[in-house]
Amino acid sequence: MKKILQITLGIVTSVGGFLEIGSVTTAAQAGAAFGYQLLWAILLGTICLIFLVEMSGRLSAVSKHTIVAAMRERFGFPFFFIVLVGMTLVAFLVLIAELGGIGFSLQLLTGIGFPWWAIPVSLLVWLLMWKGTFGLIENGASLLGLVTISFVVAAIKLHPDWSGVAAGLAPTLPQSDKAHYGFIAVSIMGASISPYLMYFYSSGAIEDKWDESYVSVNRFIAGFGMTFGGFLSMAVLVVAAMAFQPRGVRVDSFDQSALLMTTALPRWGFYLFAISMLFACFGAALEVSLAIAYFFAQGFGWSWGEDLEPSKDARFAFVYTIIILLAAIPLVFGIDPLKVTIMSMALTAATLPLAIIPFLFLMNDPVYMSKHRNGWISNSVVAIIIVISFVLAVISIPLQIIGG
Amino acid sequence: MDLVRDVMDKKLVDRKDCEMGRVDGLVMHVGPSSQPRITHILVGGTTLWMRLGPVFSGISARLARLWGPKRTESVRIPWSRVKTVGRDIKLDVMARDTGAIDWEIWIAHHIIERIPGSGTEEEE
Amino acid sequence: MRLERLLVFPILFCLGCKPPSPAEQMDSMLSWLATARMTGEGWLRHTTPDTYSRQTLEMSGEKIDQIAADLLRSPPSGVDTATLDSLFTRSRVRVNAMARLIAAKNAPDFGGQLDSLGADEKRVKQLADSIEHKQ
Repeated sequence: MKKILQITLGIVTSVGGFLEIGSVTTAAQAGAAFGYQLLWAILLGTICLIFLVEMSGRLSAVSKHTIVAAMRERFGFPFFFIVLVGMTLVAFLVLIAELGGIGFSLQLLTGIGFPWWAIPVSLLVWLLMWKGTFGLIENGASLLGLVTISFVVAAIKLHPDWSGVAAGLAPTLPQSDKAHYGFIAVSIMGASISPYLMYFYSSGAIEDKWDESYVSVNRFIAGFGMTFGGFLSMAVLVVAAMAFQPRGVRVDSFDQSALLMTTALPRWGFYLFAISMLFACFGAALEVSLAIAYFFAQGFGWSWGEDLEPSKDARFAFVYTIIILLAAIPLVFGIDPLKVTIMSMALTAATLPLAIIPFLFLMNDPVYMSKHRNGWISNSVVAIIIVISFVLAVISIPLQIIGG
Repeated sequence: MDLVRDVMDKKLVDRKDCEMGRVDGLVMHVGPSSQPRITHILVGGTTLWMRLGPVFSGISARLARLWGPKRTESVRIPWSRVKTVGRDIKLDVMARDTGAIDWEIWIAHHIIERIPGSGTEEEE
Repeated sequence: MRLERLLVFPILFCLGCKPPSPAEQMDSMLSWLATARMTGEGWLRHTTPDTYSRQTLEMSGEKIDQIAADLLRSPPSGVDTATLDSLFTRSRVRVNAMARLIAAKNAPDFGGQLDSLGADEKRVKQLADSIEHKQ
């Protein structure tokens, strides 16, 4: 029973990793521009993520290695270093976007411009990592993240055409604006299948001291957690389709996205959106920062762990301190977080093969997985995800140029 | 034992299970009439960066001379100190004595412990 | 090889940004007019706070100004430039006036401006449709 409570790892991974500035923005853009037509992209992203996250947890529980540690040991230092550089660059952009998202939420609530919030917000994120334990971050972010359920409430209150919603779950092509449609589809996939999610979940399983007995509950946690996040993203799309599309409002800036729930929930919608984004982006910022620090520490063999005091894992603490500091700088100078968000989604999609291909090998290696190696279903799904990730990698940048 | 699979890049832990880096290189003795055997494990330094190429090795050596514990050469640990080779490689040493965590100690003393709340108070 | 691929992306991105077509620019204009109207309605119904409403209206005004300048620099064929110019200017002035009325908390006058903005929006929509047909 206690294992089921570990659902919080699933929820925090999902709310911080799945539902964050990127997925909310892309879902809102999708709904505003194309109605329910892009729901299939969120569904596809969710299914892919369920499998990837489940495998991340299984790898850690069985092998007692995180993905990064296993990747270094199995593929050697040069390969690890290439993935380190790629993943760090993309994750760093995501971190800037998330810190910007927190700042923007505070701008909505207080009227004070988000560049002013860059330093205080970064300091708070850093402080939570400096003094907090993994359990505090995991449970705190999950609990606070539950406010995002308001997106689902808003969607239901608007009484959408449910048959139209259902139809949106199957891929269709739009009448016009195909490049823009393609770009948003790719961005949704890039926002959904974020590798840092896998690294975070895998490290979290080690932080929570999972072992082989967690293999079956991991399936439930990964499945439930990612479905929860996917569901929330779909709710955002549905609300945007009903609130923005009929009026012709496109979500080209965060300020427009703030109007998302004002139609469905007149009294509280504006504030619920701001608070939901605040907590979701906070969770995401913590998750991304930790994922980057985990990557360095686990790959190089340093001591690491959120439950350790910083003086006991100095290099790990040093990495997250530096990256949070560096991420705040562009925000102080007023860089548009939305532009960074869009770019980070496209780059995530473009670098996905780097993260997923090694994973396929690890999940079939008896040295790490013993009798819990992937079955044919999981392998088929990963193979499909690799194909999707190559397609995304090839088309994401041209699409950004043409349709972005 | 398969050196690449079982030894290279494996995590090293000391007598107290303290993490001390990874196996970044190996020194082998090739005698005229004997089987090649491992004499030392190499950790960090130029050995690690040389695996990416001489450019990286050069850059890391230059940076190491300017900053940090000012050590450029890799740490050498005699193979005789290896207790077990399993999930990790357990060594019969104390991490601090080998020099493998010099960077960890340097960053802890010079940066981390200067920031309040880093947890050094308990040590006093 | 992968490292090189990563470096190519930002370069490509910077080099290849395609300017939007007139139809796309009109869509963008309509989007910001609709945003201004939605924000205005929200303020009247007390669903959006004063500061946000005023800031968003100001931003909408700036965006309308930007898009109008771009459109008039290379105007779409078959549309009277003077008509476009006066319509866009009127919308921008109205949106900015609405922002000032929020600061003055003048709801009745604000309501009047909001209704007129709706009419402006309809007119821009008609022009946008005719531009799209001509393309």
